Amino acid sequence: MAVPVTVVDDSKISRKMVIRALPPAWEVDITQAENGEEALAAYRDGKAEVMFLDLTMPVMDGYQVLEQLQKEALNTFVVVISADIQPEAQERVKKLGAMAFIKKPVKTEHIEDVLKEYGLV
Amino acid sequence: MNIAPYSEDQTDALQEVANIAMGQAGDSLARIMGHFVELSVPRIRLVTVQDLVATVSEMVGAKEDVAAVRQAFYNQLRGEAIVVIKQSGADELAELMDYEDEVDSEAEEELLLEVANLLVGAIINGISETLEAELGFSAPSLMTTGAPLERVLTPDKLTWSHALLVEVHLCIEGHKFKSHLLLFMAEESIDALRGILDNFIDDL
Repeated sequence: MAVPVTVVDDSKISRKMVIRALPPAWEVDITQAENGEEALAAYRDGKAEVMFLDLTMPVMDGYQVLEQLQKEALNTFVVVISADIQPEAQERVKKLGAMAFIKKPVKTEHIEDVLKEYGLV
Repeated sequence: MNIAPYSEDQTDALQEVANIAMGQAGDSLARIMGHFVELSVPRIRLVTVQDLVATVSEMVGAKEDVAAVRQAFYNQLRGEAIVVIKQSGADELAELMDYEDEVDSEAEEELLLEVANLLVGAIINGISETLEAELGFSAPSLMTTGAPLERVLTPDKLTWSHALLVEVHLCIEGHKFKSHLLLFMAEESIDALRGILDNFIDDL
């Protein structure tokens, strides 16, 4: 059965880059969200078993999404996708409950590594 | 001369590429300084020589004196990168970079050139890798220290009348140091970049 996946980024180009990098063999049902509010709405609609989350976004950013998910004890597998690759940035999001951190530009092998590590493919 | 603005997709792509490149620059800076670097959202504008000072002053903020370093980049895109650092932040550089000897003006210049080169190198390489465009860059040269911004951006020092400006800035958490990186591309390269961005978008 296809896995409901939500890709969250305010940049359409960036969402396309993430979607293009998803492993071809991974059966997914993709929803796109432009900000954190849309991402949480997608989650509540059951469309975000896995969430690829950008950090810098208007309306509601990625950090706020992580905080909200933690606060409500929501259960989704969050992979943060960010251009800010400093080790401290990675630690900050992992403390907030992100399962993995992938740097931009996203490469298929990096997504595959994460999915394999957690037995998602 | 009228320059057609970029489409929404082209601007979005350029913004994303600038974002990725800046992330790499920030990481390099964080490594040599051992501090967390805060990154800005890249700003993209079409500017003319006439409105340049006003546009950049607004981006850089306060009327404080600055130090500035320039580097040219070339090949598929040509232009110049100018790194502007407020003087109060430039004065902190030696401390941030654990420079132990006495800091005379020569040492201060060297540190400025080193930081500028690191930022420009990371940004140009990031753009080049992401867009698969060939880009090279020259060695940095000091434009000024302790001067007002208007003196850095005088038309006689610039070789174009219209330019695409990409601005990013990086701050060190808990310190005054803040550097603005300005990339200027003149008329020809605005069109060349349009083509490169279209190819990049088509490949997605």
